[in-house]
Amino acid sequence: MTPSLRALFLLALAAAFGAACRTREDTRPADRLILRYQPLGPDPAPFRALVAGFERETGVEVEVQALPSGADLAHQLLVTSLGAGGEDMDVFVLDVVWVAELARAGWLADLSDAFPPERVRDEFLAGPAAAVIQGDRTFAVPWYVDVGLLYYRTDLVPEPPRTFAALATAIRRAQAAAPGIAGYLWQGRQYEGLSCNFFEALWGYGGAALDGERLRLDTPAARVALGWLRELVADGLSPRSVVTATEEDARRAFQEGRAVFMRNWPYAWPLLQDPASPVRGKVGVAPLPGETGPAAGALGGWQLGISSRAPPARRAAAARLVAHLTSAAANAVLAIHYGRNPARRAAYEDPRVRAEAPFIAGLLPFVDRARPRPVTPYYMLAADALQGELSAAVSGLRSPAEALGRAQAQADAIAGVAR
Amino acid sequence: MSARSERRLGAALVVPAGAVLAIVALGPLLATAWLSLRHRVPVLGEDRFLGLGNYRALAADARFWGALANTAYFTALSVALELLLAVPLALALHHVGRGRGALRAAVLVPWILPTVVAAKLWALLLQPDLGLLARLWPGGAAAVLARPTLALHAAILVDVWKTTPFAALLLLAGLQSIPEDLARAARVDGASALRVFRSITLPLLRPAILLALLFRSLDAFRVFDVVFVLTEGGPGHTTEPLSLYAYKTLLRAGSFGLGAAISLVTFLCVVAIGLAWLSALGERRRPEASP
Repeated sequence: MTPSLRALFLLALAAAFGAACRTREDTRPADRLILRYQPLGPDPAPFRALVAGFERETGVEVEVQALPSGADLAHQLLVTSLGAGGEDMDVFVLDVVWVAELARAGWLADLSDAFPPERVRDEFLAGPAAAVIQGDRTFAVPWYVDVGLLYYRTDLVPEPPRTFAALATAIRRAQAAAPGIAGYLWQGRQYEGLSCNFFEALWGYGGAALDGERLRLDTPAARVALGWLRELVADGLSPRSVVTATEEDARRAFQEGRAVFMRNWPYAWPLLQDPASPVRGKVGVAPLPGETGPAAGALGGWQLGISSRAPPARRAAAARLVAHLTSAAANAVLAIHYGRNPARRAAYEDPRVRAEAPFIAGLLPFVDRARPRPVTPYYMLAADALQGELSAAVSGLRSPAEALGRAQAQADAIAGVAR
Repeated sequence: MSARSERRLGAALVVPAGAVLAIVALGPLLATAWLSLRHRVPVLGEDRFLGLGNYRALAADARFWGALANTAYFTALSVALELLLAVPLALALHHVGRGRGALRAAVLVPWILPTVVAAKLWALLLQPDLGLLARLWPGGAAAVLARPTLALHAAILVDVWKTTPFAALLLLAGLQSIPEDLARAARVDGASALRVFRSITLPLLRPAILLALLFRSLDAFRVFDVVFVLTEGGPGHTTEPLSLYAYKTLLRAGSFGLGAAISLVTFLCVVAIGLAWLSALGERRRPEASP
């Protein structure tokens, strides 16, 4: 074959292959599902076994595809794909704050037949149940959850503080005993983690941020809560660097033994207890402090939803896959092999979980109280404006009142134009 | 072949390239312009004509003016510093004797690194607890990215570090096109090295400098990756350039119309800057052409 002939042949082959891919995508049968999720950990084997169990049981083939691990990027990808017809996925993961938005857009299949709302409320934790039930319909099924926790150094603090005032006192006392140590590490970078920290402070002051579907940001409780976060930095209770910190920045510094307290998610626990960790055996967890007593931690975590664009037969198969992956047994697999907190209450009583993942089993009181960020279709649209204003306030650019006023105006503009 | 048929053949040969340009450049541009006149939020199922409403909203938007100011400041300062550093660097590279090739390759390393990698590297160096800067300057360095006044300068520093070699390379090409005889003749006439640089090298280097300014300012005005990696626009939007604002509006806040309007404003700014430099280039060329 001459070179040009060979090139032509290759081109034809590529074209044929492309055409084959297209037809397969368009007329994908009901027994071939595409699942998109964020990889759970370094070892894919336990999750693969879970999926393989479903394939054996039902004869349905599941193609597993990865989503980006950054929540913002995954959201962007889902919205773009679903907005364009969403034919390349049947089952996908959803962050707690996406369900309301995507359900309103009409992109999530109604799962109320397979998962009636009463049953979801009964079997799953209250926080994720509230996030997946819109009106009286179920639009997603909780998969695993996350919750904001207070980590503290047991060698520096006799018992964890229950109030904001006690936290400040404990920091001053620990800093007097160990000069140079930082006080309270949290997440103050301009991103969604800051919003979680803000809502936790807000709930700690007894506030709420939702009035029907409207985000209420400019309230007295919100001003006090944001003022508290700012004072932490201004008064030196938190190092100035928290206003650029993400979870990993906080975790690394805390693990190096540079701080007394840290707000973080449960994932930090096994890392802090690593044999090489300088603070191994010197760390405790407690609920986050509030004004008068412990406050709720922000609920994070992931749900499984089904594309409303999939044909009915495939939706039915997809619902069976969701049921399989969110079963109590699957919850236990995720807890034991990937350190993910079960969304089902019963899984915390599972003897295997209690034996092999005692830290997770012990988190039941925390996840039971976890609260979702405001459940409204407008949350994700306003999140960017909110993050910017919160960041401006904690870094001292604007007063909390002014920042919240601006955030409120932007959130109203987004929701108001839409109504 | 007659002149007319030759012209016709020329036109026919240009058509494919013109068509490709129209499809990949003009088409998206017009689509963006059209989109910027609409209110479109796909997640809410909103899509209607708005006229100039998005531009009116931008005119009243403090965040937009902040982003424009950040972008202009970033462009002006980073390009000025890069050029100031690039001239001596280019001269050094031009005059160095031994190991010229190796030196040139070494100088280009920052420019070869993908921007995201370079920015991540600097983010680690500036990391407040464990970064190198924090070790060298405890206390002070902890807050470089946390201080609104310093954070944008950190981004400028990274950009200067990364693209000075590129500017130097452009200038080096200019230097090599200057005939050696001129400098030699001047030296024979007793001109000092400084005098040779000021009266011969610099004026003849001017087209190359303008070209470097053109390339660098167009590039700097569209800055995205450095800031995205270092600060994501924080604290409080103080480091947010126009392109990051457009990205967040489009893809995070999901408002396609407003995002398109920001993109188009960015585009118009870039066109204006480009035209300004190009006309400066042209003015220099004309007198040189007529002896």
